[in-house]
Amino acid sequence: MVKKLSDQPQAPPLLQVQGLVKHFPVRRGVFGRGAVVHAVESVDFVVNRGEVVSLVGESGSGKTTVGRCITGMTEPTAGTIRFEGQDIAGNSRTARDSFRRRVQPVFQDPRSSLDPRWTIERTIGEPLNAYRIGNPEQRSARVRELMDMVGLPTYLAQRRPQELSGGQQQRVAIAAALALEPDLIVADEPVSALDVSVQAQILNLLSELRSRLGLALLFIAHDLSVVEHLSDRVAVMYLGRIVETGPVKEVYHRSRHPYTKALIEAIPRPDPTQVMSANRLTGEIPSPVNPPSGCRFHPRCPVAIDRCSTDDPAPTVFGMRHTAACHVAAMQFAAESHSQPAKDPR
Amino acid sequence: MSTAVGSSVKRGAAKRSVTERLGGREGLVGWSILLVLVLIAIAAPLLAPHDPETIDSARIFTGPSTAHPFGTDDLGRDVLSRVLYAFRVTLSIAVGSVLLAMLIGLPIGILAGYVGGWTDLVLMRGIDLLLAFPALLLAISLIAILGQGALVALLAIAIIYVPIMARVVRSSVLVVRGQAYVTGARARGASHWAIIKGHVLPNSIGPALVQASVLMAFAIIIEAALSFLGLGSQPPTPELGLMLAEGHNYLKQAPWVEIFPGLAIAITVLAFNLVGDGLRRSFDPHEVTR
Amino acid sequence: MTITGALLELRNVSVDYVGRNGSVSAVQDVCLSLSEGETFGLVGESGCGKTTLSMALMGLLPETAKVTGEILFRGADLTIMSESDRRELRGDQIGMVFQDPATSLDPTFSIGSQVAETLRAHRKMSRKQAKARALELLIEVGIPAAETRYTDPPHRLSGGMRQRVVIAAALANDPVLLLADEPTTALDVTIQAQILDLLAGLQKKHHTTNLLVAHDLGIVAQVCDRVAVMYAGQLVEVAPVAQLFADPQHPYTRALMDALPTATHAAGALRVIKGQVPDLADPPSGCRFKDRCPHRMAECEQLPPLAESANGSQVACWLHPATRAAAGRQPLASISLTKGGEKVV
Repeated sequence: MVKKLSDQPQAPPLLQVQGLVKHFPVRRGVFGRGAVVHAVESVDFVVNRGEVVSLVGESGSGKTTVGRCITGMTEPTAGTIRFEGQDIAGNSRTARDSFRRRVQPVFQDPRSSLDPRWTIERTIGEPLNAYRIGNPEQRSARVRELMDMVGLPTYLAQRRPQELSGGQQQRVAIAAALALEPDLIVADEPVSALDVSVQAQILNLLSELRSRLGLALLFIAHDLSVVEHLSDRVAVMYLGRIVETGPVKEVYHRSRHPYTKALIEAIPRPDPTQVMSANRLTGEIPSPVNPPSGCRFHPRCPVAIDRCSTDDPAPTVFGMRHTAACHVAAMQFAAESHSQPAKDPR
Repeated sequence: MSTAVGSSVKRGAAKRSVTERLGGREGLVGWSILLVLVLIAIAAPLLAPHDPETIDSARIFTGPSTAHPFGTDDLGRDVLSRVLYAFRVTLSIAVGSVLLAMLIGLPIGILAGYVGGWTDLVLMRGIDLLLAFPALLLAISLIAILGQGALVALLAIAIIYVPIMARVVRSSVLVVRGQAYVTGARARGASHWAIIKGHVLPNSIGPALVQASVLMAFAIIIEAALSFLGLGSQPPTPELGLMLAEGHNYLKQAPWVEIFPGLAIAITVLAFNLVGDGLRRSFDPHEVTR
Repeated sequence: MTITGALLELRNVSVDYVGRNGSVSAVQDVCLSLSEGETFGLVGESGCGKTTLSMALMGLLPETAKVTGEILFRGADLTIMSESDRRELRGDQIGMVFQDPATSLDPTFSIGSQVAETLRAHRKMSRKQAKARALELLIEVGIPAAETRYTDPPHRLSGGMRQRVVIAAALANDPVLLLADEPTTALDVTIQAQILDLLAGLQKKHHTTNLLVAHDLGIVAQVCDRVAVMYAGQLVEVAPVAQLFADPQHPYTRALMDALPTATHAAGALRVIKGQVPDLADPPSGCRFKDRCPHRMAECEQLPPLAESANGSQVACWLHPATRAAAGRQPLASISLTKGGEKVV
């Protein structure tokens, strides 16, 4: 069963990200004056226990950087990351270490996330060794339990990654991430390097683990169709900002932000009768070194008005937990609500 | 195409034969020659028909014969015995200098590559400084300070090699450090030391070993050059480079004094190079997957 | 679109990679024909042989690959053609667009000069003429401010723009056949849509025949007229695109479609294909999908021939009456292609 604690307001969310900012200095030469990449600019979101939240966006959207900040692979420039209400940055080292155990990453390419010289058993057991959990026999038993959990036959324990298929490799990576019994898995494009049929296996595995272990999942992806299948909620990112967030069905079928709409329309549907819309986003994602003024999407936006180039839109609430940051959408919504009394969208 | 590679991996990588691990036929030949040379060096006192340093004025420049298969030199010493003994000094210098260079260069390279940032910058600028110095000049100035001899030659060659080793190790560490399994290990609580020991070192040692074998081959040539200049081993020590230097004065008169040490150098260099090629193949991930 | 006849015909094409430890059967006995003016999709998962097959068409396979069968381009067999004649065809009558625009352009030359070089390699043209034509092509593929960008090196362009340059070079000599191997896989979705539009528009204008190699069924559904599905080196089904998606005939095609995460079955677990792609160094006899197929029968030990069925699609499966008829066998009592694989976690 999926535990849904989100309805109980007194319990702090499992993960709460507020005002997250990450700037990377780009140094030109050893003594050169640096420019700054505004990779993530004031991002807020929440992941509840047992919930699957997806961060979606194209390359340069900052989605991977958000994930790296949460897994502690990079230090945020500003903002707070709270885990069960506790700010992880302000904590002592030991507190941060225990946080680290409870948040585990899974990466895109299983070929690079597994050491080619390590056996499967050693890779899955690495975190147990690092934290000196149990004696060697117990560890070995636990590794086999984990292999079983992710659907890997235990006779593979002594093999090396290159002897496994891509799907099996990703199962190994997931097993290693599960070894410390985390509460949250941050999976950065875990299936995009895999073939369709294998992709389905891994997606099924993730959704099964989620219901069996009550795992929460932060799923970072560019493929909206994959996200749609798995997530409870989705946040769409563009150039370092979350432009729209909400329950997955809301965002997909009642998208408010023109970027979200364009992104969904751009997916080639595997159905020749559903012809792709002729609306195309023109231009390309601008450089995060010099992000556009006002709304960051305005240079590519098909519905932009004058105001968009100067005023940065704040998120507008469109329904239950559904928000989008767009002047035009907010105006349209205001007009709609004016003409017909506001209804709860559910 | 990818399956062509991908699927055969499953069988290929499972059990690599000894030949494959040593890097195929070339590697096998290289290692075999090297083994023979090492055995010769160890067993030189048993194998040598004569004492390498005994001077016999009655037998100066006698050509190859059954008593002296490689002939005798300007002092009537048996060239074969001298060549056999010479392997001891030559191989020791080649292997010793490179091991010493690795001992110093490996930690520097790993530290610079793994830690990065200012540590990297400072270490690598130091290394560049050393690298910018002409190698032979460096060796000669060191010898000028410490005096001549085989040990000093070894030291000099090691110092020439440290920056090369450090650079090679650093660049492969940089690649390994960027792999997701290193970041993943960090996230899973592994300490830096555990990561260096478990992931970084095993995965970046390959290129260093390949480089090492090539450097050993070069060490023999540098050593020979130093001896030739009178800066390496001192007579009457039997040493291949030195023998070459001495023999070259009598090339017309008694070519065997020159030819046999020269041949010995060529074979040793060839062996190290074959081993290097073999290691390169053995460590190359593309070859592994074949 | 005018379909006037076979531009390209493959007859029993097999490709084996011969290595020290035996050989890998990457493509087995493929028969296909492409009509002039159509967009033909070649789909399959990694390792199915689609890229090997397209490289065989281009004559760009490594020395270790042994190609048998006939590859007829406008009636001339490419497999017996001299290397210099094939070189004449490549970049002239056959244009190519590769997956990764980052590596298919030379980083040391300007984008304009690379398009111009393609022109001059096959046409007698002065530098000036070539430059003028190259500029026209860059404008045609939608490079903004093409005149000033002409001298830019590839790394100054984004991935999408680079792919436009690659397309300009591929179209430089008005090819009749354009081979695009995963042309949008390295690109973002919104850019992918732009490039697919560009390719479709250019095809309409230049009347090329496009061979699109892809793994993404969505792209194939949107872009292609006819589609061939490959599995483990074998061609399992060829059909008009509407037919293929509405009524897949081969169990593998069926299973592949069921594995797609789409809104239609977003609720439950996705259907997966159990097992793994066979080792092509030691491929199973007969149908290579049989070990993963829910309909496996004794006859699957023999290779099913690809045969045309009543509705215009071709299928290679013993379940299918067309295949059975082609091999002179009685049809099965009843066939019902149930949903692909089994649920496996």
